[in-house]
Amino acid sequence: MKIRLLAAGLCLGLAATTSHAQQETLKIGALVTLSGAGAAWGQGMQHAAELAADDVNAEGGLEVGGKRYKVEVIPYDDKYQANEAVTVANRLVFEDKVKYIIGPVGSAPVLAIQPITEKNGVIVMTLGFTPKALGPDKPYTFRPNVTTAEVSQPQIDWVVATRGIKKVGALFPNDETGQAIARDLKEAYGKAGAELAATEFFERDRVDFVPLLTRIMARRVDAIELDGNSPATAGLLVKQARELGFDGAIIRTGGPATQDIINVAGKDAAEGLLVHTPIDPSLPSTAAYIEKYDKKYKRAMNGFSPSFYDATHLLFEAMRRAGTVEDTDRVRQELEKISGFKGALGEVSWTGKDRYGTDHQLDAPFYVAEVKDGKEVIRARCTSAGCK
Amino acid sequence: MDFLLLLGQALVNGVVVGMLYLLMAVGFTLVFGVMRVVNFAHAEFYMLGAFGTYLLVTQWQVPFLASVLVTFALALCLGWVVEWLVLKPFRHDELNGMIATIGLAMILQNGALMIFGPDPQSMPAVVRGVTFVGDLVIPNSRLYVVMFSLAVLAALWVFLRHSRTGRSIRAVVEDLEVASAYGIRARLVYPLGFGIGVGLAAIAGGLMAPLFSVSPFIGTAPMLKAFIVVIVGGLGSIPGAALAGLLLGIAESFAGTFLSSSTAEILIFALVIAMLVVRPSGLLGRPD
Repeated sequence: MKIRLLAAGLCLGLAATTSHAQQETLKIGALVTLSGAGAAWGQGMQHAAELAADDVNAEGGLEVGGKRYKVEVIPYDDKYQANEAVTVANRLVFEDKVKYIIGPVGSAPVLAIQPITEKNGVIVMTLGFTPKALGPDKPYTFRPNVTTAEVSQPQIDWVVATRGIKKVGALFPNDETGQAIARDLKEAYGKAGAELAATEFFERDRVDFVPLLTRIMARRVDAIELDGNSPATAGLLVKQARELGFDGAIIRTGGPATQDIINVAGKDAAEGLLVHTPIDPSLPSTAAYIEKYDKKYKRAMNGFSPSFYDATHLLFEAMRRAGTVEDTDRVRQELEKISGFKGALGEVSWTGKDRYGTDHQLDAPFYVAEVKDGKEVIRARCTSAGCK
Repeated sequence: MDFLLLLGQALVNGVVVGMLYLLMAVGFTLVFGVMRVVNFAHAEFYMLGAFGTYLLVTQWQVPFLASVLVTFALALCLGWVVEWLVLKPFRHDELNGMIATIGLAMILQNGALMIFGPDPQSMPAVVRGVTFVGDLVIPNSRLYVVMFSLAVLAALWVFLRHSRTGRSIRAVVEDLEVASAYGIRARLVYPLGFGIGVGLAAIAGGLMAPLFSVSPFIGTAPMLKAFIVVIVGGLGSIPGAALAGLLLGIAESFAGTFLSSSTAEILIFALVIAMLVVRPSGLLGRPD
């Protein structure tokens, strides 16, 4: 009797372990900035991937090609540095053996890791703003967030027209991202009829901007542009500009950062700030995501987060359609074909062929908002065609 | 902007920033003077000072100045313990002492990262608005810091000049052997000197927390500036640090306002290199 019980117990135990082994793990790498100035963006992206993973895991796993996969997000910090990103990418691709990466945040890091990821067929969903990140020679890289190239002209046209701005000053970090954005903005303001008259570059870690702001204010600018700066830096810029007595408009044409700016600069200094926001909290799908994020992480999410939630779900959908998680070439092809996908941002499709040579840029609506009493109030709705 | 006005504004900005640098550097040079140890963990005590003040003000609603003083006391005790536990074997071993402080810095920074996370936290401003001196603008928050640092420096000066403990610290800095012969107990002076040095770093951190944000990484940049100030002023010399701090602040402000930010950075380091070549012991340091 005892032996039979023991044998039965052993069989059950073995059965349990083997059935566990049945469910495989799908690893998604989150190669994002988790420390330093860009941490707000990186965290938003990591949590977005985790929430998408939670969604499918709650249903018993991602079902692809008849098998169920438990999705696991593996996060690493690239500190917004290209060399760190390369180290981490090597780890993800060769040690952790991931084939899908959410991130990196920065332009310099994404350009640095592409030789590894493109060569090894690793699909990358990056935030990096540089136009060089996408191209027909980089079939595995996609970008789920709109960048300065997409949003700046429509927004700047609207802001210059409605606020009558003539001369603008701007500060940028002295790296690939900052320089790319500086070029884009100079062109955009020029086309809108204003002038980007004063431009300052600084090292990314800097916290004291008083001499630079003094210099810019000496040129008598009507507005200060904050695009390209990390949320924490933007907050310090707003705070120090207002402390120096700048009372012109402060504009941020891209890169959601409002919550951090208010945290650092205070509600009074942030009052009247004109910001780009990629999300409309009144949209039911977006509101649902915001609530989900708040419930799990108990902190305000960064505005880029929904893009990466949708990006992860797009990846899952592409895997389902391709019937495989291993063959990233097939997954990539299915991913490109997805159109009219209903995500947290609303309905999204791929675009970008005109600008980048390949449709790997997600086309999503965006908005110009004014900060009033610590909250964003949407003033204009935009697509790449224009704002109203 | 009127050129004279711009010049004046740059000067004012420079003096204000120079005082901030001085506050950071004075503790660093004191530790070197007392213990001949280059304390690479100075930055992390600055950071801990900022966190301490931030927590006291936001979690327990302690008034700002009281928070800074409490943080100073806590940092002094922590410094004492650290010196006694970690640095005692290295009291006469400069190189290994330096390496030990590098390790200490990493432990403190990553410990803070684990406890507080990487996000910059923002402290509510202590004072708002600006003061006008003619047409020149000085943000009140910075004025506050400058005044308080002057008070701290005055207190330090009185302590070192006129108190018995202060004089024993100075005696040890001048000549350890003779000081010991006079009965000054190095066992007490070393931890005290270290404690006060890092306590000053903590005060600097606490005072500057409302100005800039609070995160585990805020120590690195001021540390670099403190290093420059101390090297240019002379390792171990507090008046040297004062002079160098003001010079650095003003030079940086002028270069940043009239040239570009990158040029300003190059200029600062070029000056340091020039100083090291021409006068390696610094402006007011002792040739060693």
